[in-house]
Amino acid sequence: MTKMLTKRTDQFSETAIDEEIVVMSLDSGDFFSLTGTARTIWQLIDGNRDRAALLTALAGHYGCEEAEIADDLDAFVAQLSQAGLIGNA
Amino acid sequence: MARETRAAYGPVPHGLDGIAIGPGFRLFAEGQFLLRCESGYGYHYAPGQGVTIERPPRGDPDEETLWLYGSVYSAVACLNGFYPLHASAIAVDGKVHAFTGPSGAGKSTLVAGLGQRGLPMFCDDTLLLDLSDPARIVALPGHKRLKLTPEALALTGTAAQQPVGAETGKSYVAPPAGDVREPLPLARLVFLEQGQVCQWQAIGGAERFARLADDHYTQDLYREAVRPDREMQFALRARLAAQVDMARLVRPISAEGFAASLDLAAARLGVAGKGE
Repeated sequence: MTKMLTKRTDQFSETAIDEEIVVMSLDSGDFFSLTGTARTIWQLIDGNRDRAALLTALAGHYGCEEAEIADDLDAFVAQLSQAGLIGNA
Repeated sequence: MARETRAAYGPVPHGLDGIAIGPGFRLFAEGQFLLRCESGYGYHYAPGQGVTIERPPRGDPDEETLWLYGSVYSAVACLNGFYPLHASAIAVDGKVHAFTGPSGAGKSTLVAGLGQRGLPMFCDDTLLLDLSDPARIVALPGHKRLKLTPEALALTGTAAQQPVGAETGKSYVAPPAGDVREPLPLARLVFLEQGQVCQWQAIGGAERFARLADDHYTQDLYREAVRPDREMQFALRARLAAQVDMARLVRPISAEGFAASLDLAAARLGVAGKGE
C-alpha cells in the first residue's frame, strides 16, 4: 500500500511573497525559500498524492519525462522530510 | 502612548517580580519595565501610571531625555501592543517612507537632507507601528527633533540646537520642513547600505522577509517585552513583507555619496527639486 505524502502543518509556518514561498520550521527556526520546481513540488504535496502521483503531476506540469526529474524530486522530498516538514500518511 | 509615556520624578525599584537588577541592565516583568543605567539614571514604567524617572546627583538632563525617548519609549510601546522599528522617516503625500539601518547608517542625516527638500519629518530613530488593523500598517509620529552628528550637520547644512548628551557627540536639530503630528500608513521601508555605486533597488521575494531579521535594539526590546514564539514572529514578518514596499539605497559614505543618494532618494520619492 502506497503512502501519501502530506505536509506536517503543525510543524511549520509559510507565506507567499511575490513568486516565492517562505517556509519556517517551528522546531528549528530554519527558513526555506522555495522557488521554481521546489515551489511547484511543495504546492503539489497535498496529502492526496504518493511519490508516483507526485512524479506524474510534476512531469505533466513541466512537460518532461518522469525519469528526467525523479532524482531531483526524491532529493527534495528527502530534504523536506529530514526537516520535519512533510511525512507519510 | 502620550498618556503611557508621561513622566514624573521619583524613586524607582531595584527589581521587579523578585528579580533585582544592577546598573546597566533592564528587565520586563509583570507587564512593567525597569531600566537602570550605569550613570545612575533609573526608569520604571507601569501600565496606567506612566514612567517614573530617578535622577542621580548631577544627572545630565540630555542623557535623561535620550534614554526616555529611546529605549524607554520603545519598551513602553512594546508593552502597549505596538511594534518598534529602528528607523527614521519622512512623510510624502500622506504616507510614511522609513529609512532603516544600524546606528551610524545615516538614517537621521537622510531625513534631515530630505527635510531640506521640503519633506516633513515623521520620526527619528524609532518608528512605532500599530498593527491592530489587519488591512494596513499604521505608523505613529515620533519625537519632534532629529539627532545629528557634527558631520551630518555639515552635510545637511542644518543648525544645532543643543547637545543630545555628552557621550553621543550629537546635537538636536529642528526638522527643516517641520514634522507630522498624525498617524499615517507605512508605505515603504528603505534599507540603507554602504557601497561603491549609488543606487536604489527594489527588494522582492523572500529577501523582503529575510531583511526584516536584521538585528536592531528595537527588536531586542520587542522580544524581551512580548516574548513572541516563532510562529508569531513569522506572522509578523510575513505581514510586513506583504504590506510594505521595500527597497535598498546603496551609497558611498562620503559627502559626494550623500549628495548623490539624497538626489536619488528625492527622485524616487517624487520630490526632486522641491524646496530648491
